[in-house]
Amino acid sequence: MSDPKIEGYEFKPGYSGMAQDTASDQTMFKGVHWGKAMMWIFLLSDTFIFSCFLISYMKGRGSTTVEWPNPSEVFGLHVFGVDVPLLLIAIMTFVLITSSGTMALAVKYGYEKNRKMCGWLILATAIGGLTFVGMQAFEWSKLIHEGVRPWENPFGAPQFGSFFFMITGFHGTHVSIGVIFLFIYAYKTFAGHYDERKRGWFTSMKGDYVEIEILGLYWHFVDLVWVFIFAFFYLW
Amino acid sequence: MSEDFKNNKEIHAQSSETISGGTGGSAPDLDYVRPAEVSDQDLYHGHSFITKWVFCQDAKIIGIQYFCLATFTGIIGLILSWLMRLQLGFPEAAGFMTAEHYYQFVTMHGMIMVVYFLTALFLGGFGNYLIPLMVGARDMVFPYLNMVSFWSFFVAVLVLLASFFVPGGPTGSGWTLYPPQAILEGTPGSGMGIILMCVSLILFVAGFTMGGLNYLITVLQARTRGMTLMRMPLTVWGIFTATVLAMLAFPALLVGSLMMMLDKLLGTSFFMPTILKAGEVLEYGGGSPILFQHLFWFFGHPEVYIVALPAFGIISDLISVHSRKNIFGYRMMVWAIVGIGALSFFVWAHHMYVSGMNPWFGFFFATTTLIIAVPTAMKVYNWILTLWRGNIRMNTVMLWCLGFIVTFVNGGITGIFLGNVSVDVPLSDTYFVIAHFHMVMGIAPLMVIMGAVYHWFPLVTGKFLSEKLGKWHFWTTFLGAYSIYFPMHYLGFIGVPRRYFEMYDSPYMTSAVGMNEFISLAAFLVGAAQFILIFNIIKSLKTGKAAGKNPWQANSLEWLTPIVPPEHGNWGDRLPVVHRWAYDYSVPGAKEDFITQTTAPSEVTDTKVEKT
Amino acid sequence: MVETDKKEQTTTHKIGIYLWIWGLLFVLSFFSYMVDWYQFQGMLRWSLILIFMFLKAGLIMAFFMHLFWERYALVNVLLWPMTAIACFIFLMVAEFKYTLFTRLLYFFVGG
Repeated sequence: MSDPKIEGYEFKPGYSGMAQDTASDQTMFKGVHWGKAMMWIFLLSDTFIFSCFLISYMKGRGSTTVEWPNPSEVFGLHVFGVDVPLLLIAIMTFVLITSSGTMALAVKYGYEKNRKMCGWLILATAIGGLTFVGMQAFEWSKLIHEGVRPWENPFGAPQFGSFFFMITGFHGTHVSIGVIFLFIYAYKTFAGHYDERKRGWFTSMKGDYVEIEILGLYWHFVDLVWVFIFAFFYLW
Repeated sequence: MSEDFKNNKEIHAQSSETISGGTGGSAPDLDYVRPAEVSDQDLYHGHSFITKWVFCQDAKIIGIQYFCLATFTGIIGLILSWLMRLQLGFPEAAGFMTAEHYYQFVTMHGMIMVVYFLTALFLGGFGNYLIPLMVGARDMVFPYLNMVSFWSFFVAVLVLLASFFVPGGPTGSGWTLYPPQAILEGTPGSGMGIILMCVSLILFVAGFTMGGLNYLITVLQARTRGMTLMRMPLTVWGIFTATVLAMLAFPALLVGSLMMMLDKLLGTSFFMPTILKAGEVLEYGGGSPILFQHLFWFFGHPEVYIVALPAFGIISDLISVHSRKNIFGYRMMVWAIVGIGALSFFVWAHHMYVSGMNPWFGFFFATTTLIIAVPTAMKVYNWILTLWRGNIRMNTVMLWCLGFIVTFVNGGITGIFLGNVSVDVPLSDTYFVIAHFHMVMGIAPLMVIMGAVYHWFPLVTGKFLSEKLGKWHFWTTFLGAYSIYFPMHYLGFIGVPRRYFEMYDSPYMTSAVGMNEFISLAAFLVGAAQFILIFNIIKSLKTGKAAGKNPWQANSLEWLTPIVPPEHGNWGDRLPVVHRWAYDYSVPGAKEDFITQTTAPSEVTDTKVEKT
Repeated sequence: MVETDKKEQTTTHKIGIYLWIWGLLFVLSFFSYMVDWYQFQGMLRWSLILIFMFLKAGLIMAFFMHLFWERYALVNVLLWPMTAIACFIFLMVAEFKYTLFTRLLYFFVGG
């Protein structure tokens, strides 16, 4: 967001601003909520997890002497008598990007204290996420039906199945956790917890619309990871 | 619930005059400090025994919980090392121990000491207790998450210890857990043992992430008025940078553990190549064992600095306080810590020179490894220059500091040997390596922990530890540790391999047997000497001399709370305002030889204090 | 920078910018799908995949995650650690080539 107003502190732009913020007292990220800073650092750590997964995948795929299956064929769908490559994946990508967009708008309306609009958009995001998980379950079952297992696959290198189920599974877990939280936050928004600054159930900290931005960061990150998985798993 | 939030105030934007402009006459704008940016922290005050002492949200109590649990696991690690030394020194007396037991003890000793003892103690224990106090916060920024962090550590320890009681016992694959042998039959604990180890590590990483987020955000976003990053005590810098490393390095361990668990449970072949066993080809095939080594050491090398950096930070503060001098080259020390931290991500494969990785890597990693010696050496020089012409108090804390410097230099120099490929190849997997890493990341950080315990015990409990017992503790530990590890360098040079259960009739047997007996005796002594500390703590809690406020005449904020030992919320009604760094000792012209961080400039106008 | 001021609230961005980015993401996803549809191969395929991937990732981070409007202190803290990942990727590329080389050498050529 734009620079907040802080008493006795004048913001400089760019790198001189960075030097000034870093050298100042109290906070390094000026005007950034504690929870939001925490979510960013957590996502940085999570980025390293996914990077390690994808690097392992690169190492495994690169050094195998057995032929790697052609993802375009493996993930193709046969609809109306035509073979369409990657059709399901394309729809999944479409759904996830849609949900990312609704989330971004939810954050915007949250900050504008538009409770209803914000709640509906979060709900839409949650439903998008749910659809994604459902389609992933369909994709998994289709592959399992075709004989792909974590330890073997009929199309070539057994590592294909291993890495596919592990990485999409780990990503799917992230999506599922996100969906659960989206439903909870949708409820909390509609119930007006953020307007009343009601205390949370576990942490007993006061509610605030910034929580929606924090959840939004997580959700966009899930989308971001999918961009990389889409490129490296399905297209490469 | 509402009465749990008594101390729940809204923003107090205090002007600087109301706080620090007390001494009339001097210009008030000299003491101006910007008003607070965020409102006072909203704290949950527990009332019942459970919320106050068990599921507690006070960082100080959580720190003590971490400290006690880490010490408990550390004692288990110590007992395991005794058993190993018994086998190595006096095999005939250790008839109850099989080779399987020995490998299990080696593995558990290593893992416990590195992860569950040192990491948990420095970051969980000292980090939780000291960060909020030293930066002038009321508590960690997410107290609830902090509590969950400790309890997942607790569960991780339970799972780890449970592996002693499952069929097959704990894993015996060495603390590096290298596949394929870690999960193949024939290695002790290749069934439940390795699974529980991986589960325990994953729990530890999850718990640590929660704690680590707290430490980072507290340091970055919850400092008190006037506390800039370059005014923080080096202890906070060390713990902060170590936490950054942990947040970025633990993911690799998590991924490695997860993939190994899948290899074990589902029969995937991430790390498992085609293997012939008794003439039969196993189901595994096509995996890459070296991938695990890369993942493990991408975590493992930063892990070394996760242990070392807090030690560097704490020792800097102890040396400065007890030689009554400002730390030499504060900014250089900060940049050295940050530089070591950043570089530690680019050196990991120097642990793998003999692993069969791409041979060109040796060049890259030897170079980066030797570069990391530069900031490390700068720190050692700065410690010595801090002591130079200082007003040194030769108390127990200072003894531990001096012991640390000597041990660390010793272990660091052998590290330069091992960083070079051509020297490392003959020396790797010998006792030289054991001697190196025990000196540099076993004994040296341990000395810091001991010094820190003697230093901060008066803060935590309000009582001094006994100096007499402390000196006994130091000298037995210091001389004993040298008796253990110094001869090991020699054992390494004559080629005694590490991780061998016994030497059988090899030529090493004759030339090394006497030395092994000596090392074992020293190890028993040093281990036993640690119980002096536990006795000292119990005794001093009952009959120790009362410490009062700021007994060491230190400058940093943790000694300046209105109530000692500090209570929940740390600072009473008002947060402290910081005007200077933590190292204004022996300033010319000052009334006393220390000027606390909260002393306003107008109070010390006639001294030669510099602006920090 | 497109901003509207709300009373006593942090400023939010106009809805248009989100819709634009949203649209761009769809277009880029469509393009990367087309890479597969037309079965481009070799360097062209890989570079196109990477370009679209980084463009999409950049748009999501910059606008949906608001990194474009954050102060440089935060942005730099988040992006610099990626050098460690870059180094890891770079070295693992060298490593898998070497592993493949040794496998081909010992399994097929026979040493």
